[in-house]
Amino acid sequence: MARYGFVIDLKRCYGCYTCQVVCKAANHTPKGIDWARCVQAETGSFPSTLRQMLPMVCMQCAEPACLEVCPTGATQQDENGIVTVDQDLCMGCKYCMMACPYGSRQVVDAWETYFPDAEGALDPYEAYARKKWDEKYGSGVATKCDYCMDRVKQGLQPACVEACPSKARTFGDLDDPESEISILIRREGGFQLNPEFGTDPSCYYLPVR
Amino acid sequence: MSPQGVKEDVWIPTSCGGCYAQCGILAHRVDGVLVDLTGNPETPAGSGRICGKGVAQLHTLYDRHRINYPVKRTNPEKGVHADPKWQRISWDEALDTIVSKFKNMKDRRGCYFQATTVQTSEIRFAIPAFMRSFGFKNYWVSGGGLWCGNGAHFMNGITHAAWSIIPDWTYNNYTLYFGCSKGHGAGHAALQSSQWVADARARGMKAVVFDPFLSTQASKAHEWVPIRVGTDAAAALGMLNVILNEIGQWDEEYLKLKTNAPYLIGPDEHYVRDRDTGKPLVWDAGAGRPKTFDDASIQDYALLGEFEAQGVKCQPSFALLREHVKKYSLERVEEITSVPASTLRRVAHEFVEHAQIGSSVKIDGQTLPLRPSAAIFFRGSQGHVNSGWNCLAIDLLNQVVGAADVPGGAMGHGPPVCHGHPDTGKPETIPYTCKDGLMIVKGWVYDHKPYPLREPKPPTRLDLQDMFPCSVYNAFTIMSPDWEKYLEDFKIDYRPEIMINFGSNSVMTMGNAEDVTENFLKKFGFVFSFNIYQNEFTEAVADIVLPDCSFLERYTPCVTFPSTFCHPTGMDHWVWQIRQPVVDPLFERRDFNEVMLELAKRLGIQEKYYAETNKLIPVRYGGEMSPEYALDPKGDYSWQDICDRVLKDRLGPDKGLEALKQTGLEKWPTKVEEMYWRWFVSVRIPIYFEFFKESGEKARKLCASFGRENIQDWSFYRPLAEWFPCPSHEETDPDFDLTAFSWRPSFHTQSSTQNNPWLDEISVNDPYVYLIQLNEDTGKAKGLKDGDDIWVENKLGRRIKGPVRLVQGMHPDQLGIAGCHGHWARGTPISRDKGQFFDDLVIVDEKHTDSLTQGTDACVRVKIYKA
Amino acid sequence: MLILKAQTKWRWIIAGYLFLAGLGAGAYITGVVAGFLGDEWAQLSKIGVALGFPCVAVGCGLLIFDLGRPLNFWRAAMRPNTSWMARGTIIISTFMVLGAIHIAFWIWPFGGLSAGARAVIGMLGIVFAFSTMVYTGILLGAARPIAFWSTALLPVLFFISAASTGVMAVILTASLMGVPHSGAITTLARADIILLILEVFAVAMYFQATHRVPEGRESARLVLRGQVAPLFWLGFALLGLVIPLALEVVGVFALHDGGAATAAIVASISGIIGGLILRQVVLSGGIHAPLRAGRFEFGLPII
Repeated sequence: MARYGFVIDLKRCYGCYTCQVVCKAANHTPKGIDWARCVQAETGSFPSTLRQMLPMVCMQCAEPACLEVCPTGATQQDENGIVTVDQDLCMGCKYCMMACPYGSRQVVDAWETYFPDAEGALDPYEAYARKKWDEKYGSGVATKCDYCMDRVKQGLQPACVEACPSKARTFGDLDDPESEISILIRREGGFQLNPEFGTDPSCYYLPVR
Repeated sequence: MSPQGVKEDVWIPTSCGGCYAQCGILAHRVDGVLVDLTGNPETPAGSGRICGKGVAQLHTLYDRHRINYPVKRTNPEKGVHADPKWQRISWDEALDTIVSKFKNMKDRRGCYFQATTVQTSEIRFAIPAFMRSFGFKNYWVSGGGLWCGNGAHFMNGITHAAWSIIPDWTYNNYTLYFGCSKGHGAGHAALQSSQWVADARARGMKAVVFDPFLSTQASKAHEWVPIRVGTDAAAALGMLNVILNEIGQWDEEYLKLKTNAPYLIGPDEHYVRDRDTGKPLVWDAGAGRPKTFDDASIQDYALLGEFEAQGVKCQPSFALLREHVKKYSLERVEEITSVPASTLRRVAHEFVEHAQIGSSVKIDGQTLPLRPSAAIFFRGSQGHVNSGWNCLAIDLLNQVVGAADVPGGAMGHGPPVCHGHPDTGKPETIPYTCKDGLMIVKGWVYDHKPYPLREPKPPTRLDLQDMFPCSVYNAFTIMSPDWEKYLEDFKIDYRPEIMINFGSNSVMTMGNAEDVTENFLKKFGFVFSFNIYQNEFTEAVADIVLPDCSFLERYTPCVTFPSTFCHPTGMDHWVWQIRQPVVDPLFERRDFNEVMLELAKRLGIQEKYYAETNKLIPVRYGGEMSPEYALDPKGDYSWQDICDRVLKDRLGPDKGLEALKQTGLEKWPTKVEEMYWRWFVSVRIPIYFEFFKESGEKARKLCASFGRENIQDWSFYRPLAEWFPCPSHEETDPDFDLTAFSWRPSFHTQSSTQNNPWLDEISVNDPYVYLIQLNEDTGKAKGLKDGDDIWVENKLGRRIKGPVRLVQGMHPDQLGIAGCHGHWARGTPISRDKGQFFDDLVIVDEKHTDSLTQGTDACVRVKIYKA
Repeated sequence: MLILKAQTKWRWIIAGYLFLAGLGAGAYITGVVAGFLGDEWAQLSKIGVALGFPCVAVGCGLLIFDLGRPLNFWRAAMRPNTSWMARGTIIISTFMVLGAIHIAFWIWPFGGLSAGARAVIGMLGIVFAFSTMVYTGILLGAARPIAFWSTALLPVLFFISAASTGVMAVILTASLMGVPHSGAITTLARADIILLILEVFAVAMYFQATHRVPEGRESARLVLRGQVAPLFWLGFALLGLVIPLALEVVGVFALHDGGAATAAIVASISGIIGGLILRQVVLSGGIHAPLRAGRFEFGLPII
């Protein structure tokens, strides 16, 4: 029993989109689907202007809005706090997409190739990726980041954590007060995004500066 | 634990080719299909990670838009938007045609090799070996003058024996960035630098970024200093003035022993030389008389004061520099740069304070100066008329505080720096000195070393580059509508005939597409090209296109030496890393190196080709070649045979290709003498560039002898650093009220990555990359709303269109565009019409060229209006 | 540079579902209430009740059609303890059962339902019809990050619109069936005038409430002045409010017989289209709250 969580250090992140792309490769997500998205913002006025990237994962909230609104029971929360979607139960109403404050839910309406202008059959990689995707998710159902549980079970780090060039991402157990992420959150003032929605995210951010 | 039915599941160590950082990667192959790319934890080049651009290269291998078969052009009409009407042909037909074209040349010198800057390690052998064995000298990396570094590479070669400089983040506490993004995804040891700069930031390292817009690096910095493009030297010299004349602090010991600061300069601006030995003189303040710079008896080098030696009044060069920079009063500098004088003064103070002059640190038992301040620069600074001097002026900040190639300071990075300490048993590349005591690099990437300067001689090349003393790449001759006139005036007795292109897309990377195509490329009667995609270049002018292998389908004996940008600073490891195919080449794709070898054989020049290859190996990798592994001119080798011999020769008989294919690399620990070499190698570098003057004078006379004295502004050839304005700074037409510049997003590499679907997906959603950035207040004053389509037009009436992004993080009179987007080739539909093609606005002519390095000025005065 | 983008996943089909569920329930209530008002209202009562079940059923059909996995639609009621969609599914299903029974045993194909039994079913039906009308607003409101939806005024607005479009559907059907324009039908039109006036106030208050947070302001901007503005002003304000209100006022106070019928038909068609467009406008304006980290506000990417 753990409560898996992330710490993303905004001070370290410089906005290279590695997490976003590596996630695609690790999870074979199709066109338009990005579980580890990055968004940017600017604040202040010239010349005292600041700019920052906000890299995201699913927040695996302790009180998930998506779980609350899911009418079918497809959305579940496992014993480690990971919010999952059972694709056999999901009916694809997209209500979770509306309710999630973090944009963590995504649905493939219909699997599309990245090469719509090319002739002939899918290339070997796309064919492989599509097969992998269809085996696990397929079209029409809600999909989301699960902190790479398949990798974690093999003792690996989530793909985005392993690849992050500036080591801005740390994965661990929030329930363990001595875990690296718990220490980082305590020591460096970790905060959750938009706590006003009452979801209690398991992903914490460290301040920009 | 492989899933059921899987017959093969392997991880192949190789090297990424997504940019020039050459990180070590592992390719995951399942049942013959490449399914993932990850970092290779065994290598220091990337240290087990991979970036988004790297992972996205999965699609490069299988991209359905790739070229899979040789094709020939059936539409004889060439031009920027021409449809070549490709027709598939056999390899034999393609090579037969090429060979017959070569054999029917009027003059072999009329060949021209054009190559990409991205595949740096692939061009080490085949191109020069072929050029030398076939007999021509024309060579160009197409993005070189505009996207790569004329000033930066050249000037860092002179002062750091390196291709570029980056801060030593292990110890650095304060970095001034000028137009560069090192540590923020730039391909300069991209992954390690990213981590180290993040570590440094976390422990309190401060960065001050001089940039016209709130770039990625500025966004992470302690302070962003908005500055007008192309004015970096003025800012640097203003700060130097504060340091030398207000603060009055500098690293005496460093300047005395490691630079030509004490060299005495006469009224003729030249060294005062010893009558007997011809060596430059210095003033021994202890003895009260002049001595040659290398006299062991010198008690104390004078840096200031006026003296008389050899009967002339003279001063140490440092005293001249100190006096010279008084010209750059902060009031004047503020006017040029728009940076408030108070900011410049404060930053100069902070820079000196953080340099901790006099402090030291112990590393691996060696006590070394600790100078945790650095001033670094790259393309932003050097893409101007003042290319060379911008770079040197900024680097002078490092030199006066002694923060050069010592812990915490600005480190030479890229080839050849200094490695191969005798204790390591590896081929050595250690800088040495000229007779004046100044540093010469041991090996270098292109033909001529940065110093001593090339002797001005009548040109033999079609671009006249070999006539200029410090030109790295130049485009103003070949892109001119009067190219023919240049050739006539400079008595070039042959004309362009055949162009060989390797992977480059020069139509999009040299300047205005029409100019490149009409004035330059179409002058070649026959153009053949190795490419993985049909791009703007092939569609405009190629007659035959050969399907090249991507970096995931070919062998390269070494990608990390000479290290372009793969070895990080700090104590880690050197790594020798190979590239190997992760799958056999698909379809009829063939490796460029293999095909060039075959062409040499078909042309009957393979003996020379082998001989030239033998000569190139030591130049590239340092050290002499053992006769055992040298290629026998009578032999018959494949590209893999050559790779195998290179490896065995460099690494040992048990480290041939088969062995390296298993590990992908060979690594050994960095020695402190190699990484922080400055105080271990007895060389000096110039802070006073005496040699420019003489060289410029010779070049001027030479040009005058051809009746073209005014081809360049010879006043650039001077001994002391100066800021010269770009044409954009001198524009007086009030309608043209903005200066446009381009920038590079870290997730794209020049013009080569825009067709990658994953990178395109990022770019579409990025708030900057596919848009034109303009200051919000400026935009609103012009009645623009965020997202409005605007035209950006230069003085020649050329214009580009795109949606505007109004931001606060932009200098009010500047305009930013991410470079090399806006493709139009039929062969790359994903990238088509995405973003803007900035280079179309760039003006390439004598006036827009750095007279010193011949780099192209990449800033353009523009007006904008609603589309 | 705060770039806020509206959701794109719930579009016209969902708007059609929200609209038809509301309209059907509104018509049904109109019918049941009419049934209590005497013989003069009998025909209108039948029309109202008859419209209830089919409209809601078609609406549900649209919802199912929009699902990624339509075959799993039956799972929609599995989590009523937390999910408003599940609760709504139960409410609407119950309403449809009642509505269908009401029709089947009163109008077609069977008959013979006693007046007492009809009254009981009608009263029960009204409860579920009312819940359905309100539910369409609550469903959206449960998406808390979307300020444009997450307001108590949305169920009010949707309820009024549902009632109004329900009434108009009855008027339209009756007019097309040639029911003479006097007495009951004019009374209905008068009631709709009141509903439309209420709707104007509800819309005004609804937009007033959006101004608390940036995403709400952006929603209001998008709808009132941005890309959705033509749809809002022409489709909803003009077709949905101004035209029906004007024609109904004219029809009630100045016209008779044929003229009144024509005015009523045009007013009702216009108002009903406007009702559909209102749902679409609300959906198109659905913008998630920006994410906040220190001084930064990040707009979510398009979902």
